[in-house]
Amino acid sequence: MKQLLASVAALVLLAAAGPASAEVKLGVIAGLSGVGTSYGIGIRQGAEMAVKEINDAGGVGGQKIDLVVVDDASNPAQSVTAMQRLVSDGVDIVVGGWGSSQVLANMEVSERAGIPYVIVGATNPNITTEKNRWSFRVIQTDSVMAKQIAESAVGPLKMKRIAVMNDSNDYGVGNREVFVAALKKLGLEPVEVQSFQSSDKDFTSQLARIRAANPDGIAIFGTIPAAPAIMNQARDFGIKARFIGTGGLANENLITLAPKASQGTVLTTYFDEDVDADAKAWAERYVKEFSGGAQTPRPVLAAWEYRAIKFIVAPCLAKNGVDKAKVRDCIAGFKGKLFALPGEAKFDKTGQLEQEPVLVEVRGDAFRGFKAN
Amino acid sequence: MLAQILVGGVATGCIYAIVGLGFTLVYRSMRMVNFAQGQIFMAGTFLGLVIADHFKLPAVPLILVVGAAAFVIGLIVEKLIFRRLYHNHEVFVVGSIGLGIVLTNAIRIFFPEPVPFPKVFGTGIVTFGGAFFQISYVWVVGLTVLLVLGLHVLFAYTKIGRGLRAVAADTEMAGAVGVDVRKSIAQTFGLSFAVAAIAGVLIGPLYFVSFDMGDMIGLKAFSAAVFGGINSIPGTIMGGVIIGLLENLAGGYVSSSYKDLVAFVILLLTLLVRPNGLLGSETPVKV
Repeated sequence: MKQLLASVAALVLLAAAGPASAEVKLGVIAGLSGVGTSYGIGIRQGAEMAVKEINDAGGVGGQKIDLVVVDDASNPAQSVTAMQRLVSDGVDIVVGGWGSSQVLANMEVSERAGIPYVIVGATNPNITTEKNRWSFRVIQTDSVMAKQIAESAVGPLKMKRIAVMNDSNDYGVGNREVFVAALKKLGLEPVEVQSFQSSDKDFTSQLARIRAANPDGIAIFGTIPAAPAIMNQARDFGIKARFIGTGGLANENLITLAPKASQGTVLTTYFDEDVDADAKAWAERYVKEFSGGAQTPRPVLAAWEYRAIKFIVAPCLAKNGVDKAKVRDCIAGFKGKLFALPGEAKFDKTGQLEQEPVLVEVRGDAFRGFKAN
Repeated sequence: MLAQILVGGVATGCIYAIVGLGFTLVYRSMRMVNFAQGQIFMAGTFLGLVIADHFKLPAVPLILVVGAAAFVIGLIVEKLIFRRLYHNHEVFVVGSIGLGIVLTNAIRIFFPEPVPFPKVFGTGIVTFGGAFFQISYVWVVGLTVLLVLGLHVLFAYTKIGRGLRAVAADTEMAGAVGVDVRKSIAQTFGLSFAVAAIAGVLIGPLYFVSFDMGDMIGLKAFSAAVFGGINSIPGTIMGGVIIGLLENLAGGYVSSSYKDLVAFVILLLTLLVRPNGLLGSETPVKV
């Protein structure tokens, strides 16, 4: 009798626990410690802003969005565990992911679990392929960005002796390969190629070799905190070459950590508020909302997370509820205008959002549009 | 390039040596390892950052102020926390790991991202035998030498130092001959905190500081202490410098991916082959 009562009680508890979570669960995975911290902060802020606006306006299809944020410590192995936590938490969709090595690892989990994953912070071309049926990526890939910066280096920037400093992770190596191949097509070979680890602090041995090669341009395919350290140390050693790079440099903390050394750096970025009025308006709102705390606002990273959630994911959730397959198909068929992107944005058949990369230059204390004159 | 690598190796090695000293000092008195040393070092850097930012102190006063503040904090932490953990080595170790985690996350609340440290040692670049390095490196090496000399004088010639050595050698007897054992232990902790914090101020201007910078350095400093002999001060210094040099050589000539491996391979080999370290000595137990 006691056992019967106990099992009935357990069943009742279980049943009661079920419908209580009628909210939509949106998972965010990013590096909030380790080398990706500066980027993870922006991603989280973008998510918080978008979800707050959506929930204040009534949610998606009447349901509020429950935001679940996990930190993967910018480490691929931990990223897999973090993603597994999101899956076992029962998230309906994941929007986030920073770091090509982490995303390449953690997307296996979401693919196996059949959860749509909109990636906002990893640029390795292998992430969006035909066989990744549940994954989408909204930022431009290295195969486009590295090619773009190579063309800008040779064309408008008129560089002839280009050295390459790349991180030895998937992001750095992927960029280097595309960049060097693009240079070759333009008839140039890099004068020196050196690699480093994301967590390295001292770059003297690599910079010594680069200085010996006398470059007029140095491509840095890395992220914070390595990139600003490289720039500072390079200038300390008397290297005057201009720096170029791709998305890894697109973080305001680059300028904070290397205020003098980063001046004049030209890079392809994910978001430039000067592109259109909507972008500027959003950036101002965002900075106002997130200023004044210990975590400074990071518009570049937040912009994609915000746009992905507000304009791509939320409408699909509103229309299709939590049916993952329907949400995925809805995302795949997305066509619309996103601020700071000219024209209409849509995903190609590998799940990659098609768009033109934006070039910016570090001038003063911000990224400004780069005029290729 | 060799000169560059050697200079970098000596400087990094000195940092491992100084942080390793923290381990050694505590181990000598307590026969226990305080695994929060790396995080204390990191907290010391942030203490230095806050003081330097608010009071704009130049190098030498900054180091003295941070060292003194850390000493006092060490006394307080010993009284509040470590004193309750002495009775059992395992409890002490786990408790110290916990302290490390608390420190890391406390700092993280205020400093979630890497931040630059003011260049209190100036921005000059020194050339020496083909190597270029920031003037901070000279301070690091110089201060390591001063610190070692200072500690030597403390332990060999002052009453307090002799008391600390007595407590380290035989706590009961030291108490029996009148040494205030409680105070000595507290002072040892204070000293280990001060030493780690000073290392933090030295390394601050060289690289950016972040809340997770203490983890790796703490582990490598531990390897340095074990390698050199965890109950020997000169041993720890030597261990630190050797690991720093080998690490940089491996990074320069083999691959920068394997740099971190060096310290841990050395730790493993030491524990397997010569657990007392290079200059450490087995403490004889009289039966």
